[in-house]
Amino acid sequence: MGHTRSHFWFVSPAVILMFVILILPVFVAGTFSFTDYNLGSTDFKWIGWKNYESLGKFSSYSKMFTASLTYVVIVVPVSVLLGLGSAMLISSLRFGGEFYKAIFFLPVMATLLAMAYAWEFALDPVMGVINKVLDDGCSVGWFYKFFTGSWLGFNPTESWYGGLCSDRMPNWLGNKKYALGSISFIGIWQAFGFNMVLYLAGLTSIPQDLYAAAEIDGANSTWEKFKLVTWPMLGPTHVFVVTITSIRSFQVFDTVEALTRGGPSKSTYVMVYAMFEKGVKQNLIGMGSTLTIVFLGFVLLLTLTQVYFINRKVHYS
Amino acid sequence: MAEIQLKGISKSFDDNKVIKSLDLSVAKGEFITVVGPSGCGKSTLLRIIAGLESQSSGDVIIDGREVNKVRASERDLAMVFQSYALYPHLSVQQNLMVPLKLRRLSRLERFPLLNWFLPKRRSKMIGLKEKVLQAAEILQITHLMERKPGQLSGGQQQRVAVGRAMVREPVAFLMDEPLSNLDAALRVHMRAEISELHRKLKTTFIYVTHDQAEALTMSDRMAVMMDGEILQHDTPSEIYNNPVNLQVAEFIGSPKINVLPAESDSKGGITCMGLPISLSMKTPKQGSIMLGFRPEHTELLSSNSNNCFEGKITYKENLGSDIYLHVNLKEDQHKMIVRSEPDKALDAKIGDMVKIGWMVDKVMAFERNGQSLPTKSKS
Repeated sequence: MGHTRSHFWFVSPAVILMFVILILPVFVAGTFSFTDYNLGSTDFKWIGWKNYESLGKFSSYSKMFTASLTYVVIVVPVSVLLGLGSAMLISSLRFGGEFYKAIFFLPVMATLLAMAYAWEFALDPVMGVINKVLDDGCSVGWFYKFFTGSWLGFNPTESWYGGLCSDRMPNWLGNKKYALGSISFIGIWQAFGFNMVLYLAGLTSIPQDLYAAAEIDGANSTWEKFKLVTWPMLGPTHVFVVTITSIRSFQVFDTVEALTRGGPSKSTYVMVYAMFEKGVKQNLIGMGSTLTIVFLGFVLLLTLTQVYFINRKVHYS
Repeated sequence: MAEIQLKGISKSFDDNKVIKSLDLSVAKGEFITVVGPSGCGKSTLLRIIAGLESQSSGDVIIDGREVNKVRASERDLAMVFQSYALYPHLSVQQNLMVPLKLRRLSRLERFPLLNWFLPKRRSKMIGLKEKVLQAAEILQITHLMERKPGQLSGGQQQRVAVGRAMVREPVAFLMDEPLSNLDAALRVHMRAEISELHRKLKTTFIYVTHDQAEALTMSDRMAVMMDGEILQHDTPSEIYNNPVNLQVAEFIGSPKINVLPAESDSKGGITCMGLPISLSMKTPKQGSIMLGFRPEHTELLSSNSNNCFEGKITYKENLGSDIYLHVNLKEDQHKMIVRSEPDKALDAKIGDMVKIGWMVDKVMAFERNGQSLPTKSKS
């Protein structure tokens, strides 16, 4: 070293590419977020923090944060726990495990946009298979009893399902009470197979000796062994799964675009959809960039949390 | 302290019979070693005793109680694993606490948060911590209590694993090759420590190893196991000096026992490679037999000796206290290992011709199929 500058030549392709492809676009978005630039117009004005201020001012943006965060808060825990549960069930199977792995992984491999249209048919308020089943179920005794909770002693007509039976079945995607829930359901359906695969990998890396040791030490129930061995040994997997699921949930777009377009009354107006609407549909590059930067902030925060946990809490060796 | 008996234990994995109708009894407070080459079924046997594996047939009896249907956690045995199997997310102290917590605290007392309100828990916990500290003091690991297993050396992890087995005072210790992951010097050291621990605790120990040196040095009695069967179960010196067959003789002892073909005549006299020897069979039978003798029962003779073996040195191992010479016998392809005092063999070089004698009274005779034959020295 020292005598030549060849080391700069060696690293320059990587550095230049990283700058052009990764850093420059963020920088450009950051710059645009302080302007009122519209795609097509020839000039723009610097407007300072006005774009950011409007995030707090307009109700559509507060609805956006509510929708995105609600989606994440529903999808992440449910899909993570479902993933863990199905992974543990599958790994305990003596045969047939491969079959279930393939089935549960199917939604991950399928194009979400195409699957969204399939769900649209299923969730259709009139012709959809789901409402058809619920509707017919009203006249099937055990089905009605089960879902109204009358088998537990509740008054069937006061329950949610009982109410639907006497009125009519919900419009899953068109009613703002149900729309985000329906989108979240599809999100969970799609995400948990991926989490399952990650947990399966995590489970196989737990040494069998630890379970034997736990048994010898007196852990005589599956739950004790789960608490003592499985759950803590999956620590690194938990951090990775939660982070990746959170980031992916923040990025939800396909289902919203295909099924609800942010509606009804902005109840499913998630961040990436807002970005798309402002920046692409309405050509408001300035506002779109602002949303991008805020979105980036969220993702960065999640990633930093992950790094913190990996370094501090779950790194055992 | 417990007495452990195995009666007709056999175990098959699919078609593979790893343990064949095996009997073994371990007396109260005895240190017994099960030694055998890898794959002989000794670890499986230990796991069957522990209850981690179920036998295909036969009975495990602990203190007169048949425990075939009793699960591992209820047998009150402790086990030390080859991999140590410490919980990596818990500190050393917490690792030692696990067996106590699981056995001495009720389900409610282990329930997080809620257990703070249980009056007896506090005093119980103090008692348990006291026990952990006692165990840690015996093993000299008190200064490591706050560390995680990942921050410990192999030897320290080994002690923690022994400590975790010790704290709850089990009726017997089962050890599955606990020293095989340690380096050579530490292994010798831990050998002595485990023996001493056994003297202190006076509990039954069942120790599984492939290392015959561990078996010979540590145990009261040892069981030599091969191909799923126990070939000989006796004190170390008895097994070393009077192996029941050639397999045991070859497995126990390092370097390996020398084996040469020999002939016995109808009067019981034995000739080995043309040399008549002053040893005879107790039950004379004509035919070919084998003679086994350990390297330490051989010696280098001066070059003008008669009636002795002669061969060429092919390899020389200098261990400092002893020198082992690998010799190809002159007459044919037979090989022999000779132990010599260092000063006698210092000048010996590879390729030299040497003359070798043996201590005839230490020579063992075996049948062609390996079974030991009784002999007496001629007077």
